[in-house]
Amino acid sequence: MSERSGRAGEYGLMALRVFSIAAVLGAWQITAMAHVFSDFLLPSLSEVLLRLYHDLVSGDLIRGIELTLIRTFIGFAMAAAGGVVIGVAIARIPVARWFFDPLVSVGLPMPKVAFLPIFMLWFGVFDVSKVLMIAFSAIFPVIVESWAGTQNIDKYMSWSALSLGVGPRRFLWEIALPAALPQVFTGLQVALPISLIVAIICEMQMGGQGLGGSIMTDMRFADSPGVFSGIVAIALVGMVMVKAMELVRRRLLIWHQETQAE
Amino acid sequence: MTTGIQFKAVHHTYRPPRGKPVLALDGVSLEVKDREFMALLGPSGCGKSTLLYLLGGFLPVENGEISVDGKKVHGPGTDRGIVFQHFALFPWKTVRENVLYGLEKQHVAKPERVRRAQAMIELVHLNGFEDSYPSQLSGGMKQRVAIARTLAVEPEILLMDEPFGALDAQTRALMHEELLAIMRRAPKTVVFVTHDVREAVYLADRVAVMSARPGRIKEIVDTKLPGGVNPEVQQSPEFAQKVEHLWQLVRDEAIKAQAQAEHG
Amino acid sequence: MILRFLIRIFPLVLLAGLWEIAPRLGWVNPEVLPPASAVASAWYGLLMSGDLVTNGVSSLINLSAGLALGIFVGMAAGVLMAWYPAVDALVSPLMKSLYPMPKSALIPVMILWFGLGAGSKIASIFMGCLLPVVLSSYNGARGVEQTLIWSALGLGASRRRVLWEVVVPGALPEIMAGIRNALAISFILLVSSEFLVGQRGLGYLISFLGDGGVYDAMFAAVLTVAAIGFFADRVYLFFMQRTLRWRE
Repeated sequence: MSERSGRAGEYGLMALRVFSIAAVLGAWQITAMAHVFSDFLLPSLSEVLLRLYHDLVSGDLIRGIELTLIRTFIGFAMAAAGGVVIGVAIARIPVARWFFDPLVSVGLPMPKVAFLPIFMLWFGVFDVSKVLMIAFSAIFPVIVESWAGTQNIDKYMSWSALSLGVGPRRFLWEIALPAALPQVFTGLQVALPISLIVAIICEMQMGGQGLGGSIMTDMRFADSPGVFSGIVAIALVGMVMVKAMELVRRRLLIWHQETQAE
Repeated sequence: MTTGIQFKAVHHTYRPPRGKPVLALDGVSLEVKDREFMALLGPSGCGKSTLLYLLGGFLPVENGEISVDGKKVHGPGTDRGIVFQHFALFPWKTVRENVLYGLEKQHVAKPERVRRAQAMIELVHLNGFEDSYPSQLSGGMKQRVAIARTLAVEPEILLMDEPFGALDAQTRALMHEELLAIMRRAPKTVVFVTHDVREAVYLADRVAVMSARPGRIKEIVDTKLPGGVNPEVQQSPEFAQKVEHLWQLVRDEAIKAQAQAEHG
Repeated sequence: MILRFLIRIFPLVLLAGLWEIAPRLGWVNPEVLPPASAVASAWYGLLMSGDLVTNGVSSLINLSAGLALGIFVGMAAGVLMAWYPAVDALVSPLMKSLYPMPKSALIPVMILWFGLGAGSKIASIFMGCLLPVVLSSYNGARGVEQTLIWSALGLGASRRRVLWEVVVPGALPEIMAGIRNALAISFILLVSSEFLVGQRGLGYLISFLGDGGVYDAMFAAVLTVAAIGFFADRVYLFFMQRTLRWRE
C-alpha cells in the first residue's frame, strides 16, 4: 500500500519520522506556553524536562527506577523460570498437561491484578506481594509459548536426531529445548512488558517509592509536572526494555530464519 | 557385512486423533538385497513413506515383521540413516555442527570426529560453508548437509523419503548425479521413496510399485540399465521403455488415489 | 463428550475441594483463606444486597465505554494509516514509540484531567485499548493482498469503496485478534483504576471490603471480577470465530 521507492524515499521517510515526533513535542510546548489548557492540566515540555533533570540530579529518579526495575526483574525471573519449566512439562508429561491445562486456560484471560488485594492480605504490603503479583501475571504467556514451542517441534527433525543416536534423556536438552527457543523467547518478550505494567500498578496501589509510587504521590499533591515527568521516565524505561529484549533476541537467535531475513 | 532387508506381511493402520482409523498398508512383503538401490514408487497416500518410517523404526510395527540382517527392527538406530524431503536440519547448529552431531553421539574422539565431518562436507561439495546456518543455505545445499549428516555415521542402510521433492528440476538433476557419485564411492543399501517415475528408473536397481491405499506391492520391476548409470542413458530407448512400463503400472493407482482424495 | 469435559476440568474441581478443606481443617488460617463455601455464601449475600449488581453495572458501563471508544478510534486510525501513506508517516513513529509504555502509568494523568469519577476510568481504558487496536488494524489492513486490491480497482471501484469493501473485511481477522487483546487490557486498567480512586465499581467494592476486613466477601468480589474477565474473553472468542467463519 505505501511503497517505498529508492533511497530518496527512505531518507524522506526517516526525515518525516523525526519531523513527526519533533512536531508533537513542539506542539506540546507551544500549546502549554499559549496556556490553551491550564498549567495544571498541561505543564509545558520545558517544565517537565526541567523537573526530570532535577530528579535525576537529586538521585530520586535513579532510586525510583532502580526500585521499580528490581521488582520487575525479580518477578520476571520467577515467571520466566517457572513458566518455562511448567510449559515444557505440559508438552512432555501427560499428567502435567492434565493438571495445568485447565488452570492456564482459565487463568490466561483473567485480569490477574484483581487478585492484588488477596496477595496483600496474604503477603503484606511490601515488596513480597508486589513481586509475587508480577510473577503471577507474567507467568501465563511464558507457559503458553514454552508449551507451544516444545510441543510443535518438527517431527522429522526429531526422527533424524533419533536415527543419529540420541538417547531419550539427552533429547530434551540437545534437541527439544533449542528447537523451542524462538517461541520460548517470544513468551519472554511478552512477559517483560507485562512485568513492568504490573510493577507500576502495584506501586501505585501500595506506595513504597519506585516510579509508580512517586507518580501517585505527585498526583495526590496535585504536582502535575511531577506526574508528567514520571510518565516520561516510565515510558523511557519501557522503551529501553523492549529494545534490549530485541537486541538479545537478535544475538541469541542469530540462526533463526527471521533474523536472517532482516 | 551383509545386510538384507525383509518385509513380511506388514500391515499398518493410521489412527488419527479424531476420525476413523484407516488401513495404510495391507500386507506388504518385500525383500531388499544387500547393496541394492530399491525405489518405492507409488501415488500419494499409498503408504510408501509409512513403509519407510516403519523400517526406520519411527513407527511401531504392530502387524507383520521387518528385519534387517536377520534381526527384527525395534526402533530407530544408526544402522538405518534417513534423509527427509524437507531436510530436517537442526537450525540452531551450523553445517559443521549438524554433520558432527551423529559422530558426537557415537563417542568418536574429537580430532577424528572433526576429520570425518570435514570429509563428509567435502564429499557433498560444501567446503566453505562449514560455519553457515541452514537458514542461509539454498534448498539443494540444505539437502546436501542432510546427506552428509546421515552418511557421517556410516549407516549400512540409507533411507530416503522423496529427498529431492522440494528442489527445483535443475537442482534435482544435479543432486541425482551427486547421489550416484556418493554411492559409487561407498556403496550402501538404499531404500528410496518417490512418486517420480523417471527418477526411480534412473537411480534404482529395482523399483517396487505400490498400489493406492491401502498399500500393497503391485509389481517389482528391474531397472538396471545397460551401459551403466549416467545422464546420457536417459535418452536411450531402453530407458523410455522402462519408464513407459512403470508409468502404465502407476497410472491406474494414481487415478484411484485421486478419487480417494476427492471422496475422503 | 460430557465425560471428556469433566476430565478436563477435574484439576479445578480438586483445587476447589482443597480450598474448602484446607481452611476448615486448619491447614491454612481461615481468616486469610476463607473456605469456598463461606465465600460462596458471602457472594450470595453481596448479590442479594444489590452491592454486586450496582458496582458490577458501573464497572461494565465504564469498561464498555472505554473499549468502544478505543475500538472505534483505533480502527479508524489504523486503517487510515495503512491506506494513506501521509498519515502513516506522520502518525506511526509516534505509535511505535508509545507502544512499549505501560499504559497503567497514564492513570494518574487521567485522574488529574478527568477527576475521580467515571471520566478518568473511561479515559484510562481508552488509552490502554487504543494502541493494540491501531496496530492490529494497521497490520491487518497492510496485510490485505495487493492483488485483491488491484482487482477491485481494476473492476472500477473507487478507492473509498475498495477501502470499505475489500480492505476492512480483509483486515478483520487481525483486527479482531487485536480487539481481544484490548479487551484483556481494558479489564486490567478498569480494575487498577477502580482500586486507586472512586466510589463505585467492582474494584472499589473489593478495596472497600478489604479495608473493612470482610474477607470472605472480598474473595467473592475478586472471583466475580476474574470470572467476568474470563467469560468476556470466551464470549468474544465465540463471536470472533463465528464472524470469521467465512474465512474457512
